[in-house]
Amino acid sequence: MGRKVAIVGVAQLANEEVSNYNIREITYRVIKDLLEQCGMKRDEIETIVTSSSDYWQGISCSNTFYYDAIGGYLKNSSKTEDDGAFAFLYGCLRVMSGHFDTAIVHAVTKCSEVPDPSTLTNLTADPFYQRPLGLDDLSAAALQAKLYMDRYGVTEEQAARVVVKNLENALDNPYAARRAKITVDDVLRSEVVAYPLKTLDCPQDSDATCAVLLAAEEKVGKFTDTPVWVKGVGWSVDNFFLGDRDLLNGALARAAKKAYAMAGINRPREELDVAEICAPYSFQELLWYEQLGFCAAGEGGKLVDAGITARGGELPVNPSGGVLAANPYVARGLIRIAEAALQVMGKAGDRQVPGVKTALAHSTHGLAGQHHSVIILGKEGN
Amino acid sequence: MARAVAVVGFGQTKHGRRDEVSYPELVYEAVKAALDDAGITPDDIDAVVSGSMPPAMEGIGAPHLYLSDALSAFGKPSIRVATCGSTGVSIAQMAYYHVASGLFDVVLAVGHEKMNENDPQGTMTTVGEPYFQRPFSGGAPGIFSMQAHQYMYRYNLPEERVREAAAIISVNHHENALDNPYAHIRMKITVEDVLNSKIIAYPVRLLDVCPSSDGAAAVIFAAEEKAKRFPRKPAWVKGLYYAGEEAFFGDSDKVVWQSAIIAAREAYRMAGIQNPRKEIDVAEVYNPFTFQELIFYECFGFCEPGEACRLVEEGVVLRGGELPCAPSGGVLCTNPIGATGLIRVGEAALQVTGRAGQRQVPGAKTALAHAMGGVDQLNGVMILSSEL
Amino acid sequence: MSQAEVKFLEQVVYLPYRWSMGPVYTRFFEEFKKKKIMGTRCPQCKRVLVPARQFCPRCFVDTPEWVEVSDHGTIRTWALINFKFSGQPMDPPYITGLIDLEGADVGFLHFIGGVNLADLAEVRARIKIGGKVRARWKEKPQGNILDIECFEPV
Repeated sequence: MGRKVAIVGVAQLANEEVSNYNIREITYRVIKDLLEQCGMKRDEIETIVTSSSDYWQGISCSNTFYYDAIGGYLKNSSKTEDDGAFAFLYGCLRVMSGHFDTAIVHAVTKCSEVPDPSTLTNLTADPFYQRPLGLDDLSAAALQAKLYMDRYGVTEEQAARVVVKNLENALDNPYAARRAKITVDDVLRSEVVAYPLKTLDCPQDSDATCAVLLAAEEKVGKFTDTPVWVKGVGWSVDNFFLGDRDLLNGALARAAKKAYAMAGINRPREELDVAEICAPYSFQELLWYEQLGFCAAGEGGKLVDAGITARGGELPVNPSGGVLAANPYVARGLIRIAEAALQVMGKAGDRQVPGVKTALAHSTHGLAGQHHSVIILGKEGN
Repeated sequence: MARAVAVVGFGQTKHGRRDEVSYPELVYEAVKAALDDAGITPDDIDAVVSGSMPPAMEGIGAPHLYLSDALSAFGKPSIRVATCGSTGVSIAQMAYYHVASGLFDVVLAVGHEKMNENDPQGTMTTVGEPYFQRPFSGGAPGIFSMQAHQYMYRYNLPEERVREAAAIISVNHHENALDNPYAHIRMKITVEDVLNSKIIAYPVRLLDVCPSSDGAAAVIFAAEEKAKRFPRKPAWVKGLYYAGEEAFFGDSDKVVWQSAIIAAREAYRMAGIQNPRKEIDVAEVYNPFTFQELIFYECFGFCEPGEACRLVEEGVVLRGGELPCAPSGGVLCTNPIGATGLIRVGEAALQVTGRAGQRQVPGAKTALAHAMGGVDQLNGVMILSSEL
Repeated sequence: MSQAEVKFLEQVVYLPYRWSMGPVYTRFFEEFKKKKIMGTRCPQCKRVLVPARQFCPRCFVDTPEWVEVSDHGTIRTWALINFKFSGQPMDPPYITGLIDLEGADVGFLHFIGGVNLADLAEVRARIKIGGKVRARWKEKPQGNILDIECFEPV
């Protein structure tokens, strides 16, 4: 893989801690937290990559708003848009190049400050052909869900089990926005918002910011004795028009293949100890299991039925509660990475899965998951 | 240390008012041109990076997704970078790091903008944060004009002298654009034309200012071993850097402009350049405003502080001079903002490989490409050379 | 296909936002409503930053010390805006500028007025870098940045 890179620090702020503060303030605080945690001074910052989105902030060139809050005064910093995982990937590339030995990676989204996510994601739809039809994240997911369920007989109950699992996991995650012990029935009886999706099949929009420190192999020891090595990365994008795509078999399989190859993983279900998967809609988690190679096509429902992906199961998925529990849209991808890293570090508090050596972090954005990224993190450098 | 990276292909659209094509079609035009220039197909591309101004500029969300087909990104890794006016250079830098990391050998960088599909200054005003600064920016012209005024005052320069130098720059660049078939504004003007043109944001006038252009550019970067096998002579990336300042416009001096000074200084250091005035053969500076260009000359070490007017008066930075700036006509004549910084890189690559046609600066070996963004906040520089 | 045959789809996109001020800006505007301009002083570099901030961008430390600065100052720079765009705060011409308020170490962005904007010669005669100005406050401040109507030459 070339120059080895590890995550040496993770910081997050969410919900009440951020809702009453503006984006500059919460960015400053999460970066300060990270610097203190790692014993790094602002002078020592080499580069910062941030992810935020103009529409999801109401401020164009969103990072100019908080460039100094990120510790960036007279520093080399760039901004990737729409997905927190982008910032992480670019941070890795910067360190791997050898130009930088460390990189701070950051993402922020405050859903409480912006218009309805459906209004914003409707803007990602083609203005001539799709926008007038009201196509947005939710309706695109509904189209995908219907196809998925019809094709393989996956049921609403199976999708509901994902919700129950994740919201219960979230009870142990202080950063989650929606945490509850609910039943499958609760999910099934929730209001239909875009058939076959119901309210509880959909994500909980929230506010959060997250920052991660990356370090090259030679520098890792300076910051931590529990480095989390980046073992493999892969990302890929699909065609734009929904009708051009195979909605059940898209970019995720490609992204995963690259990441697994780089990490030397051949049997993901056996070799991964935990996975933080970005599934804003319940059934998507099942579909993503398949695309990630945890099971054969159409078998995702069986995994959740058998408890394989539950906290105590063979391959726990989303011990943090995932995006169903907290959806700070752009930041969510970086938070998956942060959560996976905490698992490997053994610092995931009450949501810790015992004995994690290898973790997978996944992010997606775009209608029905047009873009996917997969990152494999591990304890051993080898 | 990082492995060597070169530009091996460059394509751009005919920039201007492109009402006859849709946004994806515009992007496709540039990507096709770059692939043709490099003699390859999308199959040879390992990753795509793209960027543009705020999506509100075209009223599209997540442009990298909307344009994924036009970008030839299907099935590829694809990331969007967006840093306001400096985007074009940020895209180039991201592509560079994709290759320098060792993970990718051939990367396509695409910058794009279709500004005539909205009110650009209306969008740019939303860059200012809403609490304290948004009502006061006066769009980009307001900010750059305030900076111009400050510059004149700082060095006690008579306004007439500065205006005249700015006008000479404008005349020079417009004339250069006549040799650039891709440029937007291609017209012959005089110093009087500039001095008498309509006031946009005093002291800046219409002919001191760039147009709003539709356009796209694509640059292909390759790792050393692969680069040597491309049909075009490689233009090596010798140095690159980027720096930014505070969010409040009033917090930092924009005359002795630290982010510009540092971006250049560190890029020079990486490239082993000690005397930029002598060692740089051609500069594609980010110059949407003539007055601001004077400030960049100083920040980039082409002359002492306060002496930029002299560079112009003595013809140093004009066509035929010792350090010609903007042989392409520059941003002043062509500004599809998301592409603009990348066009600088592409033009610099053409110059150092002797492929700039009518606009070639004879014997150019080392070139500077630059872009600026935000409310006078961000600066990125890249140095290219024909020598590894 | 000739230019005449291409069609255009026209639309205005309307997006409502609701930004949290956070405690520092909230307090700034509460004082602003009382016609007071507040800054905060960095404990390290000692600069007084206006508007009041939570942290110093250069030292990267909290700046909890609040300091009132004057509503008088000098013009650091200015520009006369003479073009239109959507979402503009008012019709041109108008002047925008940076003011060095007495007691502050950074420039404050706002309008400059109190001069006949239609007469460029007069503007240039009366509005100068280094010139003294003072805030003209609204009669009934609302708690936003436009509570000051503009800065006028003294």
